Amino acid sequence: MNPFAQSPHSRGLRRREGIARAVFLCVTVLLVLPIVAIIGMLLVRGLPAITPEFLFSEPRQGMTAGGIFPALIGTLWLVGVSLAVAAPIGVLAAVYLNEYAREGWFTRIIHLAIVNLAGVPSIVHALFGVGAFVLFLGMGTSILAASLTLSVMTLPVIIASTKEALSAVPMSFREACWSVGASRWQTVRHVVLPNAISGILTGVILQVARAAGETAPILFTGAAFFLPFLPQSVWDQCMALSMHLFVITTQVPNVPPRITYGTALTLLGVVLVVNATSVAFRYYLRRRKRW
Amino acid sequence: MESRAKIEIAGLGVRYGAHSALRAITLDVREGEILAIIGPAHSGKTTLLRCLNRMIDFVPGVRIEGIVRLDGQDVFRMRDPTELRRRVGFVAPLPVGLPMSIYDNVAFAPRMAGLRDKSDLAERVERCLRQSALWDEVKDRLDDLGTKLSGGQQQRLTIARALSHDPEVLCLDEFSIAVDPVTTMRIEDVLKELRPAMTIVLVTNLVQQARRLADRTAFLLEGDLVEVGTNDVIFSRAARDPRTLQYVRGLFG
Repeated sequence: MNPFAQSPHSRGLRRREGIARAVFLCVTVLLVLPIVAIIGMLLVRGLPAITPEFLFSEPRQGMTAGGIFPALIGTLWLVGVSLAVAAPIGVLAAVYLNEYAREGWFTRIIHLAIVNLAGVPSIVHALFGVGAFVLFLGMGTSILAASLTLSVMTLPVIIASTKEALSAVPMSFREACWSVGASRWQTVRHVVLPNAISGILTGVILQVARAAGETAPILFTGAAFFLPFLPQSVWDQCMALSMHLFVITTQVPNVPPRITYGTALTLLGVVLVVNATSVAFRYYLRRRKRW
Repeated sequence: MESRAKIEIAGLGVRYGAHSALRAITLDVREGEILAIIGPAHSGKTTLLRCLNRMIDFVPGVRIEGIVRLDGQDVFRMRDPTELRRRVGFVAPLPVGLPMSIYDNVAFAPRMAGLRDKSDLAERVERCLRQSALWDEVKDRLDDLGTKLSGGQQQRLTIARALSHDPEVLCLDEFSIAVDPVTTMRIEDVLKELRPAMTIVLVTNLVQQARRLADRTAFLLEGDLVEVGTNDVIFSRAARDPRTLQYVRGLFG
């Protein structure tokens, strides 16, 4: 008989296997718990506040009553404008870096810049936004300045995630295209991008969700403390959900918890809707994916 | 009678950084012949092949000296390498079905070259698939994914794609390593049929394949061209270099 079939270690091995499995399971559960708790608490306390009246009317009586409509619309403006700026620039830069640039000191500096930029705290981005957009470029505190600040904050991550998606397309596809006389651009356009698009969009949309939730970068650059009108153009200031939540929790006394939790839940809802869109989109594109 | 040289390689050397992959290769490929390039691993066979259509351009940090001429024209001085690659087709060792339909796989290169006419494209796709002995197996499912074909079918699809842009020269890099023996024999038959109209350069590590298929064979060893000659010389005692004799008899490599 094979002496290894019934080794004296096998019982210990099985036990350790069980322990390892249990540890991993516990950690995973611990990870999920806070998320469930947060969402649960917000739902219980915030859901009763969510009425059409709350969502579609402006705050009244020094923000202690009424709704959050200007903040909701303001957040959509900020996110929309910053996406319109950051997504094309980020994707085009990533295509250049991944498909065209040769390894060299130039690309290495760019990589270093991207990595470091991604690690800069958002409050520092905010100060940069004040200096660069509000003051130097003379945009004043406006949706444009705030959105551009958000764009600067999200760009490095969009570039990194797009590069990741592009480099997931096998090199052999590119070589097959080049070897039949396709140019680099034709290869990118007809083979690389169609196969990377779901990953690219996922990365972009996740950054949109992040931009929707940030407070610091818009604090000095375009978000208003209280402004019960809807913005008319990108040169106006606007309210924003994240900023509004910060204001009513820390700056204004006697705000009913109902409103605070309702605002938090709406903000979470916006982020979750965006994330869900990305998941749905990814699923749709995955089904069309051909390898 | 000796036919004219389609490709002239003169003093070709290739270095990857400090490593020299090819040294002073001088060799002609004659019009309408099958030239086999044999040699053990790391002898520079693939590097040599990649110089012919400048796929070597995509290797970072490569340094090239010497000259490769196609019909007398220096390929490294051509302004548009994509035109060169349409004239010199290339089949990689591992089959690559592009993630699109079988039809689109074959129609890809002509489309990229600007061919738009639907009936022209359809005709061309059918001709290339017939030439690569794949038509009968896929004619009813041209809209299926190229990537879903079996390995051997994908390799024939790759050959059909390489034929789709009417190359004057066809380079094949160890096309049989991912393919079963039956498919290998079918592809070899395809190559024999293409021969008079097309010049074929075949890199192979199967000595017997070179013997069966080629008109002439070149033997590379560690970046040097040891010997090139007609098959009846290379595969006989008449080979000039003793290393050739040893290699083709399977004594090393």
